Amino acid sequence: MLLTSVILILQEILEAALIISVLLAFSVINHLSRQWIKSALILGIISALGYASQVERVSEWFDYVGLEIVNAAIQFTTALFLVVFASLRFKEKTPASAQLSDRIWQILMALIVCLAIAREGFEILLYESGFFGNPALWSPVFVGSLIGAGIGVSVGALLYYSLVNINAYAGECLALILLALFTGNMAAQGALLLIQADFLPSGQPLWNSSWLIAEDSMIGQLLYALIGYEASPTAIQAGAYGVFFTLMLVLFALRWPKKPHSGQ
Amino acid sequence: MITAPLRPIAAFLSLFFVQLIFQANLYGDTAMITIEIKDHLFFPSRVEIPAHTKVKLLVINRDNTAEEFESYELNREKIIPGGAKAVIFIGPLQPGEYPFFGEFFPKTAQGKVIAR
Repeated sequence: MLLTSVILILQEILEAALIISVLLAFSVINHLSRQWIKSALILGIISALGYASQVERVSEWFDYVGLEIVNAAIQFTTALFLVVFASLRFKEKTPASAQLSDRIWQILMALIVCLAIAREGFEILLYESGFFGNPALWSPVFVGSLIGAGIGVSVGALLYYSLVNINAYAGECLALILLALFTGNMAAQGALLLIQADFLPSGQPLWNSSWLIAEDSMIGQLLYALIGYEASPTAIQAGAYGVFFTLMLVLFALRWPKKPHSGQ
Repeated sequence: MITAPLRPIAAFLSLFFVQLIFQANLYGDTAMITIEIKDHLFFPSRVEIPAHTKVKLLVINRDNTAEEFESYELNREKIIPGGAKAVIFIGPLQPGEYPFFGEFFPKTAQGKVIAR
């Protein structure tokens, strides 16, 4: 159970750790307070607990595809928050508009992180709760979970320190591109869940790149968490990814400064 | 300032919403196959389905612990709480073998879908 726990917890932690890292780095680069992370973590853990406690009821909704619908709603809401996030940069910055966008950014970042923790955290809680009645497995599951969480948080920390320690302009550009990829990923995952629930039509995969990077390989898993890598996506998934990724890039290109970052 | 860029997203989400309303029981004639999870094993562990056809998998978890049905080849991932039922739509598939496993107990919970 030790290795299973390492892999499972790592997979769940990684996606949340990476988005937290990018948003924290964005806060540092833009001289925003990082206080929002505290409320986001607390709210996220409470939401994950609430979701996990209601999972049996939710899974029965919509003729037993309730989890897909709720998770898809969480993912599309996250994508929507990120689009609003990208829209809140004004070329001609006045002190009032700057203050307002800073405040709304912090609220949006807290909500995005809260949803990420709720989405990933409820799966961890369901997994761990399965071992309550089996004391013989407590030790391997606990140690494995700790190692998995440790690796996930370390990868997130590596990304965070890389983004804040390179040139501020490059760091911001990289953070924005990662946010655009993350938004595309959320939309594509949401679309896949609606296909799985038969709310959207299925179709043949557009391509299959598993010969190059298998989804269950280490690189495949990392790319899945970072940019939503899918070896055999359908047209709807790829389309949802493309629409949201392009929209984010267009918003950033229209509203973000084109010259090197001068600080505030 | 933010309404214009949001319009395509609003349109996109509206389409999903309309889909939600009109979808119910639209595919009532989809073939259904039942798989049970017991003692962290899938029964049956080998499921044959017609190729090029959509199939509804009804997964019944008889264990009191949650399991996650996962398949990279089928592009499917779903948590089934202990003692609960879940529906997963798969296909239409090209002929071939599509392994699936229980992510929470991957050593024992293994199976495959065979599309013919």
